Amino acid sequence: MTSRVMAEFDLLLPYSVSEAVTLLASHGDKAAVLAGGTDLLVALKFDYAVENIISLAQVPGLDKLTYDPEGGLTIGARVTLVDILKSADVKEHYPALWQAAKVFATPQLRNTATVLGNILRASPAGDCSLALYALGGTLTLESASGRREVDLDDFWLSYGVTARKNDELAIALQVPAPQAGQKSAFRRMTRVTEDLSKLNAAVCLQMDGDKCLSARVAMGCVGPTLVRLPKVEKILRQAGITPDLLQEISDTVASEIAPIDDIRSSADYRLKVAGVLVKRVIMLALNGGNDQ
Amino acid sequence: MKKHAITLTVNGEERDLIVSSNRTLLDALRDDLGFTDTKYGCGTGECGACTVLVDGTTSINGCLTLAATMDGRSITTAAGLAHDGALHPVQQAFIDNDAIQCGFCIPGMVLKTISILADNPRPTEDEIRHGLEGSICRCTGYAKIVEAVQDASHRMAGVGE
Ligand SMILES: Cc1cc2nc3c(=O)[nH]c(=O)nc-3n(C[C@H](O)[C@H](O)[C@H](O)COP(=O)(O)OP(=O)(O)OC[C@H]3O[C@@H](n4cnc5c(N)ncnc54)[C@H](O)[C@@H]3O)c2cc1C
Ligand code: FES
Ligand code: FES
Repeated sequence: MTSRVMAEFDLLLPYSVSEAVTLLASHGDKAAVLAGGTDLLVALKFDYAVENIISLAQVPGLDKLTYDPEGGLTIGARVTLVDILKSADVKEHYPALWQAAKVFATPQLRNTATVLGNILRASPAGDCSLALYALGGTLTLESASGRREVDLDDFWLSYGVTARKNDELAIALQVPAPQAGQKSAFRRMTRVTEDLSKLNAAVCLQMDGDKCLSARVAMGCVGPTLVRLPKVEKILRQAGITPDLLQEISDTVASEIAPIDDIRSSADYRLKVAGVLVKRVIMLALNGGNDQ
Repeated sequence: MKKHAITLTVNGEERDLIVSSNRTLLDALRDDLGFTDTKYGCGTGECGACTVLVDGTTSINGCLTLAATMDGRSITTAAGLAHDGALHPVQQAFIDNDAIQCGFCIPGMVLKTISILADNPRPTEDEIRHGLEGSICRCTGYAKIVEAVQDASHRMAGVGE
C-alpha cells in the first residue's frame, strides 16, 4: 500500500514567533507549520509533499495554558492534550474539553498532539475541536502584516480547509470565561478505544435552575466539517429540560445532519444513533459529568 | 534536503549526529545510533513499538517525531533502563510475570509502564489499561502485561518505603 517513507522537505527551525512569521511570508504556500506532527507526519508518509516544514519546536512563548475567571482560557499553539488533561481549571470550568482530551488518541499522542493542531487540521471528526466549538472560541492568527482574530464559528470552511491564510501562524485560542450556570460535556463513539470517532457530540448550556438560557450543540462525523445543530439549540432554549423535551431533541437531530458511509460506520447507523448521542451528552452536561 | 547537526542525550550519553530533515527520531535511534531495542511497527502512531521516553518519563512515538526537532533533548530507550547489570524493576516484573512472548512490543510496554507509574504509582487495573492504550501486543498477552505492571507498581512502592 505504502512505503511509509516521508517525501523530502527542508525542515526550518525558527527561534521566535517573528522569525516563524517571516519564514511563512517568504515561503507561503510552499510551507507547512509543524506543531506536534501527529497529523502532518502521517500525511507526509502517505500522499502529501511540501517543500518546507516550519517547526514550532524551538519557538518560545507558545506553550502557555492560562485561565482567568474574567478573561477565560488561553491555549497557546504548543499546548498539548496532556497539558489540557493536567489542568484543574480546564477540568472544573470546561469539562467538555477535558472529557475530549481524556479519550483522545493514546498517551504517546496526547504527549505530542496540540489542541491548535487539531483545530487547524479541520477534520470533521476532531475531538477537542468539537468540544471547543461547543464552548466557543476565537483564534489569533499572526502574519507579517499583523494579527487578526477569527471566531471558531467562521473558521472551518470545508473538509480540511480553514479560514487561515498560507502566511499565517496560529498563535493561540481564546475561550470565553464560563457564564453563571454554564454546563458542558463531550461524548464520542468509536469502534475501538484508540480509533478516531465515528460520531461525536458536545454541548455547552447556560442553565438557570432547569431552564436553559442559551445552548451551543455541536456534532462531528456527520458532514464535511463539524456542525452546530441550530434547531436543537432552539428547542433547548424554549422550556425546562424534561424527558419529553429530550425526546423531541433526539427526534430532531437527524434532520440537521448529513452523514456518509465510510469505513467507521454507515450513514444509516449514524442517522439512527445521533439523536441518542445528543440526548446523552445533554444529560451528561446536566449531571456535571456523571454518566448516568 | 537540508541536514541538521544535533545533539541527543540517549540513555545518559551525549551523541552528536547529522540528520536529514525528514529523518524520524526512530530511524536516527535505530540506524544512526544502533538502538535497535526501539522497534518499527506501523510508522503511523498506532502500535507503540517505537515508544521512547523524553526528559525522563514522557512517552512519545519515535516514528512521528522528526529527529532534528529533538536537538538537545534527553531520550531513554529500553536499552538504557538496566543499572550496573541489574534490570529495572519494571523489566524484572515483566520477566517474572511471564509477560513476554515474542518480545517485539515489550520495549515500548516497559517504557509506557515507567511513564504510567511516574504519574500514578498505584494505578487501578482500569488506569493501567487506559495507560497502555497506544501499545499493541501482537501476541495479545495483555492479561499478563497488566499483572506485570501491577507487580512493578508494588515493587517500586516497596523500594521507596
Ligand atoms: C494514531 C492516531 C490517533 C489519533 N486519534 C485522534 C483522536 O482520538 N481524536 C482526534 O481528534 N484526533 C486524533 N488524531 C489526529 C491528531 O493527533 C490530532 O488532530 C492532533 O491534535 C493534531 O495536532 P498536532 O500538534 O500533532 O498537529 P500537526 O500534525 O503538527 O499539524 C496539524 C495541521 O495543523 C497545522 N498547524 C498546526 N499548528 C499550527 C499553527 N500554530 N499555525 C498554523 N498551522 C498549524 C499543520 O500545518 C497541519 O496542517 C490521531 C492521530 C493518530 C496518528
Ligand atoms: S511504529 Fe510508531 S506507533 Fe507504530
Ligand atoms: S510479546 Fe509479541 S507483540 Fe507483544
